[in-house]
Amino acid sequence: MNSSAHSALQDIAVRIEHSSGNIDPLLHEIRHALSLLLNVGAATCIDLKSIPLAPGEEAQIMEALGNGEARAMITSAGRSEITETRFPGVWLVSHFNEQDEIAGRFIEITSIPQILCSQTADIEDGLARLKTQLGVS
Amino acid sequence: MTLLDFARGPGFFCAFMIMIVGIVWRVSGLLMFRWRRDLSKARNPGPFTAVMGGLRTVAMRSVPPHELEKNITFQHFTGYAWHIGWFVTFLFLGAHLPFIRSILGFSWPNLPNGILLVITAITLGILLTLYIRRLFHPVLRVITDADDHISVLLTILPLITGIAAFGHWSPLGARYESVLAIHLLSVEALMVWLPFGKIFHFATGLLTRFRLGAAFIRRGVRA
Amino acid sequence: MLQDDARLIDYLRARGVSRRGFLKFCAAMTSAMALPPAMLPRVVQALEKARRPSVIWLPFQECTGCTESLTRAHGATLEQLIFEAISLDYQHTLQAAAGEAAELAKHEAMQANWGEYLLVVDGSIPLGNPAFCTVAGRSSVDLLTEAAKGAKAIIAVGTCASFGGIPMANPNPTQAVPVSEIIRDKPIVNVSGCPPIPVVITAVLTQILTFGKLPELDALGRPKVFYGQSIHDRCYRRPFYERGQFAESFDDEGARKGWCLYKLGCKGPVTYNACATVKWNNGTSFPIEAGHGCIGCAEPGFWDRGGFYDAMSVAHWGTAQDIAIAAGAGIAVGATAAVLARKKQADAGRDQHHSGLAASGPIPAERNKEQT
Repeated sequence: MNSSAHSALQDIAVRIEHSSGNIDPLLHEIRHALSLLLNVGAATCIDLKSIPLAPGEEAQIMEALGNGEARAMITSAGRSEITETRFPGVWLVSHFNEQDEIAGRFIEITSIPQILCSQTADIEDGLARLKTQLGVS
Repeated sequence: MTLLDFARGPGFFCAFMIMIVGIVWRVSGLLMFRWRRDLSKARNPGPFTAVMGGLRTVAMRSVPPHELEKNITFQHFTGYAWHIGWFVTFLFLGAHLPFIRSILGFSWPNLPNGILLVITAITLGILLTLYIRRLFHPVLRVITDADDHISVLLTILPLITGIAAFGHWSPLGARYESVLAIHLLSVEALMVWLPFGKIFHFATGLLTRFRLGAAFIRRGVRA
Repeated sequence: MLQDDARLIDYLRARGVSRRGFLKFCAAMTSAMALPPAMLPRVVQALEKARRPSVIWLPFQECTGCTESLTRAHGATLEQLIFEAISLDYQHTLQAAAGEAAELAKHEAMQANWGEYLLVVDGSIPLGNPAFCTVAGRSSVDLLTEAAKGAKAIIAVGTCASFGGIPMANPNPTQAVPVSEIIRDKPIVNVSGCPPIPVVITAVLTQILTFGKLPELDALGRPKVFYGQSIHDRCYRRPFYERGQFAESFDDEGARKGWCLYKLGCKGPVTYNACATVKWNNGTSFPIEAGHGCIGCAEPGFWDRGGFYDAMSVAHWGTAQDIAIAAGAGIAVGATAAVLARKKQADAGRDQHHSGLAASGPIPAERNKEQT
């Protein structure tokens, strides 16, 4: 099954003349969040799925944000892509399910998205496994 | 059944039928009046003279005589303006055209909403101004009766409720469906009242003027 | 069957889902529940403590579209996870057991979780004749009333269970009714749609699982968070409606430019659902985006509201025969009025003749009245 849904849509001869005008306001929101991060150290998270976007606008937003220096991939119940955009501090976090379909997409304005950090429960788990492997109690 | 279902369904059907019964009743009744046969000699005999005379009077009485023009200029122009605006709104709003097509079987292109909204707003402004004037003018106040009040209000209501529905206003927190239903019901009220009140002047006026004109031209009167 | 230590998080761990995976699950569910991302810590906290509720799914007069919608093979694994995060103890289409073993399993689950299980219903219930819809020889009315007694809440999935749906369409031959007509003493959440958007179904279940209470409902019992806005209010083609640019027929120039589909029968203005924001097939598209007007499938009686391709403003004025009858009635009344008027005219004429007044032109009956 074609995992990139947009290519099928673009084959149909329907051209939308008018966008919902959501891109600029979103970029302004990111701008404010970045200032907040710098001044106060507070992180912000924007759920892209909660904003009604015209066809093609999500791609336009991602194009506007671009790619930066850092990129990470997590594989846990499907893959998750965490990319720093060309604006440091602005991260694009995309969660996919095991069928590689989008399950969530967030713009996180933070120094590092929380999901990248190793979680305490997992660390405890890992320690237990390492001890078992080494035969240490 | 919700209010909107009623307004779109049985409400409209009943109003439409009442309107047809009413119009046919009054027009046929008027046409079946006894008319005294004119025994005078026709001044301009000919096969189409009567028709031409009738049309002439309809046209001439559509504008005030120039002797009175000075006194009634305001009423004259605003009256025409709001009538035209009202019909342009009804006939050229995009949302109305499927309605018209379902009745006539054909329709026509709609006007852009930007232009139409301006026309409707001006029409509504004129109507409200004229009505308020009617309520306070010393002469108009005396000669206005219940029929006039009802006819004016039923003409204004579809405009106001239509703007509210189009603009998705929520007066008193009402849902869109209720606002739309009230717009439809206001139109249905107008349809029911149409054959029985002053609004029927659209039929009686034309019939009367035409008949009068036919009689005038027979007697060589130019009016 | 529900395990004793059936905490959701333990269940996920047993399936090899790390804490990170659990956080990803929570993030996706927060988004699916249409909660702001700032609520994520609360959702995590709540889901850490959550138990796997027992869910009994009863299907009645339905097409199985709702089950299909929810459990599409291409459906998100995270949605399937929520299904595994609940203990689905009875579901015809999905369960392996059949016959008496299945019925026994259902009864055991109900008894073990009496007062706590969630009852999901899809399909309408026929009141006409109990034989119209039976399972294991028992009528749907019986099955529903019995299962509802021990349920914490009932989730009516799909327009059939919520409002009667297709079986209730004119002339309603089976006398189908929605769940809310039969069960009056339990909280009911109507997740309407034909079918409902999959993630809306799971979001409602997640909401109950996470916060232990039902979401806020609108006047028709639907979760406000997904059914609080009309399609029209969220439609990306709304600017065309505002400007008066409509597609006149399918595939015409306006349609190709993506103009408003009002004239092609779109019922978006009076339909409340999340199609325009959440969309279908994991956010791919929705009917209007695909070029077809909304048919209003989340609303009661949507099958009987005029044709799907008739614009909302199309008049239902009856038939030509009705108009002919009306015109006939009009002429009859008019003729009667005229006869009476003519009689008055004749009388007036005679009176005037007798009193010697010159008559000129037609004498309207009203003037005669004023003189007397």
